[in-house]
Amino acid sequence: MLSLQNQFEENVLTTRVDWLINWARLSSIWPMTFGLACCAIEMMAVGAAHHDIDRFGAGAFRASPRQADLMIVAGTVNFKMAERVKKLYDQMPSPKYVIAMGACATGGGPYYKYGYTVVKGVDRVIPVDVYIAGCPPRPEALLEGLMKLQEKIRASSVVRKPARLA
Amino acid sequence: MDFQGILDRLVAIRAPGLVKADEPRKPDPKDKKDKGRAGDPFVIVEPALLASFVEACRDDDRLHFEQLVDLTATDPSKDSADLWINVQLLSLKFRHRLAIKALLPKSAAKLPSLVPVYRASQWHERECAEMFGIVFEGHPDPRNILLPDDWVGSPLRKDYEFPKEYHGISCE
Repeated sequence: MLSLQNQFEENVLTTRVDWLINWARLSSIWPMTFGLACCAIEMMAVGAAHHDIDRFGAGAFRASPRQADLMIVAGTVNFKMAERVKKLYDQMPSPKYVIAMGACATGGGPYYKYGYTVVKGVDRVIPVDVYIAGCPPRPEALLEGLMKLQEKIRASSVVRKPARLA
Repeated sequence: MDFQGILDRLVAIRAPGLVKADEPRKPDPKDKKDKGRAGDPFVIVEPALLASFVEACRDDDRLHFEQLVDLTATDPSKDSADLWINVQLLSLKFRHRLAIKALLPKSAAKLPSLVPVYRASQWHERECAEMFGIVFEGHPDPRNILLPDDWVGSPLRKDYEFPKEYHGISCE
């Protein structure tokens, strides 16, 4: 078999498909424009100049779920909203990721005991990749969560792994 | 006008349904169990005549309550036989306010809607209706305003029991 090494000029780079695709995905995680409560204010702060989520390639907040890769559930999810959240999640194209931002989206938060219409964690409705603690989390915490998600994407593989031997 | 002036005027125009006035007072120093009453003075009104009462308040030249500021309800306790309807009126012209309360029995929580008098009370009444199970007779749009349409129970009643699940989402 012919080696590809040193067969081309200097303007050709060789790499792994996994690395390339993961790099593309994690460098352009476009979130959905979607805020539910006070956490959304911190999310907006992350989007603004000081914290600047654009540094991570995730600053293009899309107004449509069909163009978004990431759903940041920023705030309290109640039953009426939960059905809409599920519908929006279903409309997003794969690969799609979910960040549960703050105490409410993670587990009901301050409404856990007496919130009669609050869903006790958005993971009861849609699968969640990263949970962020805080009420609300600081903008830095959301950036940390985004970096955690990037780590997760970096570790994933587009190639189907061979079936494990029993 | 201060509260006494408003009360005198209400009596003078024979405002329908007026029961009595309730004013805050200091605790009796001799009686240690007496805690007095804090808060604002208010008038107590028959619930069945509440709509006519606020109409009289709105249309009188000296009272001139052209704005309904708030309409809420209160469930004081599990043992209480009554709900409270709380109404706040404001006169922008004379810069005075009036707090109105009506005691509504829980067994028959029904009263005429205030919408023909103040259109602002539409959403307030819808919220009271879904949260306390109060029926506002003659309301033009008696749907739920905050809760889902198929919600069961009145969440702000003290004897309310929380749902175990809703549309397959567990609440445990």
